[in-house]
Amino acid sequence: MGQSLLTPDLLHRLEQFQLLAARRAKSSARGERRSRARGQSVEFADYRNYVSGDDLRYLDWNLYGRLDRFFLKLYEEERELPVRIFLDASESMNFGEPRKFDFARQIAAAIGYVALCGFDRVSVVPFPDNPAVTAARGALRAVRGKKSSLQFFQNLHALTAGGPANLNEALRRGALEARRAGVAVVLSDFLDPAGYESGLNALVARGFQVNAIQILAPDELAPTNFGDLRLVDAETGAQQEVTFGKFRLKSYRQTVENFIQRLREFSASRGAHFFSVSSDTKLEDLLLKQLREAEVWK
Amino acid sequence: MSFLAPAALIFAATLPVVVIFYLLKRKRVVRLVSSTLLWQKFLAETQANAPFQKLRHNWLLILQLLLLALVVFALARPFLGGMRKPSQLRVLILDGSASMQATDEKPTRFDRARSEALKWVDGLTNSPGGGSSDQMVVLLAGANTEVKQSATSDKQALRRALASCAAADAPTRLTEALKLAETLVQNQANAEIHLFSDGAAPELGEFENKNLPLTYHRIGVRCENFAIVTADVRANPDDATQRAVFVTVANFSTNAQSTELELRFDEQIVEVRPLKLEAKQSTPLVFAVNQPRDGTFRLHLTATDDLAADNDAALVSLLPQPVKVLLVSRGNRFLEKALRAAGNVQLSTAASLTDSAKAFDLVVLDDVQPVEWPEANVLAIHVANTNWFGAWQRVESPGIVDWKNTHPVLRAVSLDNVQVAEALAVKPPPWAVALVDSPSTPLVLAGERGQQRIVWVAFDTLQSTWPLRVSFPIFVANAVQWLDPAAARNSRLNLRAGEPFRLTLTEPAKSLTLTTPDGATRTLTPSGEGRELLFAETTRHGVYRVTAGTNDVRFAVNLLDSNESNLTPRDELPLGRYAKVSAAAAVKANMEVWRWAAAAGLLVLLFEWWFYHRRTA
Repeated sequence: MGQSLLTPDLLHRLEQFQLLAARRAKSSARGERRSRARGQSVEFADYRNYVSGDDLRYLDWNLYGRLDRFFLKLYEEERELPVRIFLDASESMNFGEPRKFDFARQIAAAIGYVALCGFDRVSVVPFPDNPAVTAARGALRAVRGKKSSLQFFQNLHALTAGGPANLNEALRRGALEARRAGVAVVLSDFLDPAGYESGLNALVARGFQVNAIQILAPDELAPTNFGDLRLVDAETGAQQEVTFGKFRLKSYRQTVENFIQRLREFSASRGAHFFSVSSDTKLEDLLLKQLREAEVWK
Repeated sequence: MSFLAPAALIFAATLPVVVIFYLLKRKRVVRLVSSTLLWQKFLAETQANAPFQKLRHNWLLILQLLLLALVVFALARPFLGGMRKPSQLRVLILDGSASMQATDEKPTRFDRARSEALKWVDGLTNSPGGGSSDQMVVLLAGANTEVKQSATSDKQALRRALASCAAADAPTRLTEALKLAETLVQNQANAEIHLFSDGAAPELGEFENKNLPLTYHRIGVRCENFAIVTADVRANPDDATQRAVFVTVANFSTNAQSTELELRFDEQIVEVRPLKLEAKQSTPLVFAVNQPRDGTFRLHLTATDDLAADNDAALVSLLPQPVKVLLVSRGNRFLEKALRAAGNVQLSTAASLTDSAKAFDLVVLDDVQPVEWPEANVLAIHVANTNWFGAWQRVESPGIVDWKNTHPVLRAVSLDNVQVAEALAVKPPPWAVALVDSPSTPLVLAGERGQQRIVWVAFDTLQSTWPLRVSFPIFVANAVQWLDPAAARNSRLNLRAGEPFRLTLTEPAKSLTLTTPDGATRTLTPSGEGRELLFAETTRHGVYRVTAGTNDVRFAVNLLDSNESNLTPRDELPLGRYAKVSAAAAVKANMEVWRWAAAAGLLVLLFEWWFYHRRTA
């Protein structure tokens, strides 16, 4: 099952990566991430005065020898990093050749796999609700450990796209639901008439490290339908009459470019990573090059 | 801008139909897309940038409306008119003179004039009812004025009339044409006369104060021409056995040119003389030639120039015969000596004249009243005839106030120191011109009565100082030459183009055959009991031949007109001393523009096609 999403070779290479988070992990569960919490690890953090009942094993005997006072050595506690992957499963993701939704699932699988390999907790939040999404929702929550990856891939693969999405609502709810902030990956085409600003703002405000990946179909970047057209929106059913010819291609591309640029600037101003890819981009190029260069992982 | 067929503007009613088509919904192809968000943004952005946003979707509509408007416009046959007022009658005068054959305008000036005139015909407005249609008249001003087409609004007839016009080798005679045009436009309120000419038209003084509605369309661009402007053949003054051919060659070009002048006698080259002439210069040339028999001299300039008609001249030359002169006198040594000195004269003398002296070419009546007046030409001195003058008186010592030495009889004659004791006083008769004038009476008259030439001197030469003056023998010699019937006949054999040819036949004939220079033959019927031939269609230069029985006469027609040969197009047409007509600055003919409108329509159609495919393909 996993092979249909990611090739074994790619999985092998992804195992070498580690998700980077600018913020320290805030999860309560132990993991392999540095956190502010003090606990047991090999990494020295600080001293504090001994109070009765403290574990004598952590007393600094060398300091006691010199100062004749008890000091307790504190170590950093390593905790897990919650990774939330917001996967747009709306009807619009069904378009494109190759399908945008397939490409998005591949990215979700890759990021999820990297996180699982790093003992991080991975949650995939598909939206909007449709039967397949509802069935798989529980199974995609809080997956941990590399051994769960096969099940994770299967669950991802079972997802289908359909129905109208509300990106803002989905992100806001996702931000509120999360007990601990961590890394948020948003996989969507961001083509929501209501916009994306409040959703992304909610994630950032909740303390998430946001990685927004916009997936557009090649046909959306450079349309191949010409003539007098009546375009019907697959999600909203809205109609738009347009007369389009090759001579207007350039100004259309400019429009798309402006749209992407606004999204990029919005993300940058909130400290989020932003990527825009066409669904016919090679997966390796995105995962091994672009995400690495942007230091999403190393 | 007006329309020849304004009724076609009714097709403009189709314009709203196109708009209605556009108001109907266009059928669009339905496509399901992931999101219309980008399209909305795209439309919003492009609309914000494009000017005329509301029309933006309808460029095709505008193109189609424009196309249709152009087609309707073309159907209505618009024309650009120079006229401020509509003209109901236009008289087109085509100058058909020799200078219009010049080839500086291609193919010739005349063809250019014709095409200009055709433009006016094209621009003729004709209303469908025909009631208030404009009319045109076509006149061809050649040697004679021909009405090629009387007033009509039928364009086909006008075009046919123009096509039938041709330029002749004759000099311009516009006076006749303008007079005719004047009578045509006299009672018309909105009438115009359009003259298509190069302006080589002298003597228009009589129209000075007529205020003609005349528009002068100048034809011609340059003057590049060599011409024979005078040619004559006479007895050689230096050697009586030879003939002298006098020629004047002029270069009317604006730069120096060289050429050769060939002289042939009956197709045999006699002499070729190279010439080099400065700009606007002319030179006289004399060829002394032995002429063995009656024949034709031909002169030819070899240079190639704009006008060919004046590069050739032909002179019919008859060998001189002695003049048989009868002097009827009571004795006048001065006169007798002068007559003998006149050269080639067989002089007989008599004291009185009792018969009609048929054997003589010329009778000199010196103060002797004849019993019977002679039929031959007469030099009458101090005798009068009631048939000539009616009544006469005597006048004492009339002073000489003026004389015409342009007349051949007074050529090189000066009457400065001549006093007259007594003279006959007559009223100038209609058949003669006064050559010498005194305040009360003409003193010398010359003229032609019927077939008879008469030179009349009012005073007795012995009662004057004239015989003592040098001018007297010159006058006598001139008079003998002018009165010599052979000389008169000879001078009639060399004509200017357009002049009528007159021939008196020695024996009556029923019909004559005339061969024109281009070889065509025509049969003519002589008038005056078969004794006189009058032929007026001397429009082509060259040698004509008339044959009937024993009569075989050749005569030559030449242009020999420096005014015509000077091809310089005149910017102004002088009407007398003070009035003039300037060349019309631009062609003001109605110009039909439907072709342009149709061409623009085609362009719009092509553009519309391209635009449609560009926006949907």
